[in-house]
Amino acid sequence: MVDASRHPKVDVRTYTEVERVEGFVGNFKVLLREKSRYVHADRCNGCGECAQVCPIEVPNYFEMDLAPRKAAYVPMSQSVPLVYGIDMDACIHCYKCVEACGKLNAIDFGMEDKLVWEDIGSIIVATGYDHFDPSVIPEYGYGRFDNVITAMEMERLNNSAGCTAGNLIRPSDGKNPKKLAFINCVGSRDKRFNPWCSNFCCMYGIKNAVLLKQSHPEMEITIYYMDIRTPSKGYEEFYNRAREMGIRFTHGRPSLITEDPETKNLYVHSEDMDLGQVVEREYDMVMLNQAAVPQPDVDTISSVLNITQSPGGWFMEYHPKLRPMDSPTDGVFLAGACQGAKDIPSSVAQGSAAASRAGRVLHSDEWEIEPAVAVVWEDRCVSAQGKKCGVCSRACPYGAIEYERGKPAKVITAKCHGCGGCVAECPHNAITQMHFTDAQILAQIRALLAENPEEKILAFRCHWCSYGGADMAGTSHFEYSAHERGMRVMCSARLDSDFIYEAFRLGAGAVLFSGCHTQDCHYITGQPVGERRAERLRKQFEKMGMTPGRFRIAWISAAEGDKYAAVINEMQELLDSIPKEQLHEEVEKLRPQMEKRARRMREVPQVEEALEFSDRLAVAMIQTEVLT
Amino acid sequence: MSHGEPRPESFADEVLNAPGGEDLVHCFSCGTCTASCPIQWVEDAYNPRRIIKMVIMGMKEQVLSSPVIWLCSACDICYQRCPQGVHISDVMKAIRHVAIREGYEPVRAVAQVNERACSSCGMCVQACPYQAIELVPRWVTIQQVMRQHRALPKVDKFLCQGCGVCTVTCPVSAISVVGVEDDGVVAQIREFAQETSSRVIGR
Repeated sequence: MVDASRHPKVDVRTYTEVERVEGFVGNFKVLLREKSRYVHADRCNGCGECAQVCPIEVPNYFEMDLAPRKAAYVPMSQSVPLVYGIDMDACIHCYKCVEACGKLNAIDFGMEDKLVWEDIGSIIVATGYDHFDPSVIPEYGYGRFDNVITAMEMERLNNSAGCTAGNLIRPSDGKNPKKLAFINCVGSRDKRFNPWCSNFCCMYGIKNAVLLKQSHPEMEITIYYMDIRTPSKGYEEFYNRAREMGIRFTHGRPSLITEDPETKNLYVHSEDMDLGQVVEREYDMVMLNQAAVPQPDVDTISSVLNITQSPGGWFMEYHPKLRPMDSPTDGVFLAGACQGAKDIPSSVAQGSAAASRAGRVLHSDEWEIEPAVAVVWEDRCVSAQGKKCGVCSRACPYGAIEYERGKPAKVITAKCHGCGGCVAECPHNAITQMHFTDAQILAQIRALLAENPEEKILAFRCHWCSYGGADMAGTSHFEYSAHERGMRVMCSARLDSDFIYEAFRLGAGAVLFSGCHTQDCHYITGQPVGERRAERLRKQFEKMGMTPGRFRIAWISAAEGDKYAAVINEMQELLDSIPKEQLHEEVEKLRPQMEKRARRMREVPQVEEALEFSDRLAVAMIQTEVLT
Repeated sequence: MSHGEPRPESFADEVLNAPGGEDLVHCFSCGTCTASCPIQWVEDAYNPRRIIKMVIMGMKEQVLSSPVIWLCSACDICYQRCPQGVHISDVMKAIRHVAIREGYEPVRAVAQVNERACSSCGMCVQACPYQAIELVPRWVTIQQVMRQHRALPKVDKFLCQGCGVCTVTCPVSAISVVGVEDDGVVAQIREFAQETSSRVIGR
C-alpha cells in the first residue's frame, strides 16, 4: 500500500467513504465523504508526539483488542498516509496533543468531514471480508474461557511487530503454552452459521502451526479437522511438510471444550475418527480458525453501487465462470474476498483481472452494449402530461430510467441491459424494447398459434436459462412433446400479462411461463418481477375457472434439460387428459374475459403501425447522444 | 427424466424415505455427534456417525441386527451441535422404522403395565414424552370375580424409550420399566447408602 501511495498515478484516499454513485460506465460521478481526522494531513509529519502525551487508552482494533492504543493514534505503522488522527469517541478534550504538536499546528478540533464529487471512469470494489465471531458457538466457549482465542488473535500474538513482540503467551496467566490445539471450520461449513467453506482456513491453520513449530520445536500442536483442503499449487506439499515437522492432525470435529477452573487448561472432546473412539485431550491453549464472512455493511455498498449479492452476502459476479471479476453493473468490477472467500494468490489474480477490465473502460471512447435496449415513446408517457407515474423507473433493476414528473421518462441507454421489465410494467404502453417490441412478440404468438391452437403448448422462455434449458433438452436427446412451441424473450420480466391473455384468447391449449431460478437471474431482480406477475396471473386464471396446469410456471436453468422436457411432458399429459370438447368449451368461455383483460391489445397489435414505430425508434436511437 | 432403468431402492433410500430420515444424506461424517453423545460415554459400541455411514454404505444386515440402534434416547445434544443440521435422533427413528418393517424387535427395556393395579387415570398417557402410551378399552377380570369394561394403558414397544417417566407419574405404581422397577432401584439406593454410610437417607 505504501508503494501504491507513492505511485504518481495512484491516488489513495483512506478514511473516506463512498456516499453516492451516479452516472454510468465511463461517466460515473462519485460523492466521497473524506472523514475528518481532526489533523491536517499536509501539516502532520507523523512524529507521534501527540500520541505520547495523550492520556486516554482504548482497545486497539488492529491488535485484535489485545493491546491499548491512545485516542490520538495511527491505525498501524504502515498506514497510508502516515497521519495521526484523533478518536473523538474517546477524546476527553484535554488538548495536550495540541500543545505537543506545537509549531506544526496540525491538530484542528474544528475540522469537519469534507464532501467531494469526483469524475470516475470505472469502479473496482475490493472491500474484503470480515471474521466470524465464534462467541455465538456455545460449545467452544470463546469469550468465556480465557485461553480459547481466534486465529487472528494468534496472528497478532505470534507477530514480532505485535503486542507481545512475538512472545506467544496465554491470556489467562501470561505463561508460554506447551500444548496447543487448532480447530478448523469454526462457523464455516456449518449450516447453523455459514454453510460455505471459507477456502483459506486450512492453509492459515497449517501456516500458523508451522510457524510456531519452527520457533518452538518442543511445542505439541494438534489440528482438529473435518477435511483438509489444500487444492492449490504447493499447498499439499506444505501440508506434508507440516506432518513431517511433527504437527498432529486429528480427523474429527470437536463437540465441546471444557475448562479446568484452576489451571485454566482446556479439554477438547472429539471423536478421533481414525482411532474410532471418543477422545478428550488436555491443552494449554486452543485456537479457533474462524470462518470468513462478508463485511457487515455490504447492503450499503450494494445499494450505493447498484450491485447484487449472492446468497450469504458476497457480491454477485456477472458470470461465475466466464466473468468472475465483473459485477452486473457495467463499469463496476469486483476483486478479492468481497466476491467470495479466497486466498491471497486468487485475490491478486482477480485484482489484476479487474484492473485490466477497468483499464479497458478507461481506454475506450465508445462502449458497446447489446442493442436490445428500452426506448420511451414520448407522446404516450403520462409523465410528460404532468401525471404522477414512474412505474418504469421503479421496475428497472439498473436505475437506468430517469423519471421526473412533467417530463417524459428517459432511458440512459448505456445503463440499460435490455431485460424489458419496464416495458411490461408500463401501464400506458409508452416504452418498448428494441428487437422485442410488443408487435414483434404478438406477431410471433399469432403465428405459432395460427393452426390448431388448442393442441399447442406455448412456452415463453427467458434467454439465459430456460431457452438454454430447452436447448440442453434437445442436445441431450430428452424427448418431449412435439406440440410445444417455444418463444424467446430476454427475461421473464418482459412477459407482459397481455401476451398470456392474447395466447389464451387465441385458444392456446397450455402456456408455460419459464425463466431463471431467482438466484440465477441475469438482470439482478428481473425474475422476481416476472414471478410476481406470473403468480398474479395464475390466481386470476384459477378464479376464472381455467383448468389448473394449463398455465404453468416453471423456473428452469440452462443445465436442466431434463426438467424442461419433464415439464413439457407433464403439460402434454394434462392436455391429453382433458376431453377435446371440454377444452374447446373452456376456451370459448374464457375468450371474452381474456379479450377484456388484454386492454392494451387495441392499441398496439397492428403490425403496420408497429413497423412504422420501429422506424421512428431507429431514428431516435441514432439521435441518442450515447451512441453517436 | 434420465436414461436407463431406474435404480433399485437401496438401504439408504429406505431410510431416507422413512419418516425422519430425510437428513441422512447431509451427514459429512465430522464426528461431532459421537463426541457429544452421553450414551457413547457408557456404551462404546454406540457411534451415531458410524451408524449413519453404515446406512449410506448399504450395510443393511449389520445395521438392523445391531442392538445399538435402539439406544438413542433423543436428548438431541448432537442435533444442537451438528454443523449440517442433521436431526440424528430422527434418523435413528427412521432406521428403527425400517428395522421394525423388516421384522426386527427392539432390543431394550420398555414400560409394562400391571393391569390389576391400574386405576385407569390416564396420567401415564399425559406424561409420556414419546406418545408411546394410549388408553385402550378392554374387558378385564377384577379380583377373579368381576368382569369390567375398562380403559387400560397400552405401551407401544416400538415407541417406548424406557425412560421411566410414567413409572414416576403413576399414583398407584402400576407401570414400570422392565429391569428398573421401583423395588430394584430402592434396593440399589439402600445398598449405596450403606456403602457410603450416608446420613441423608438414614438407616
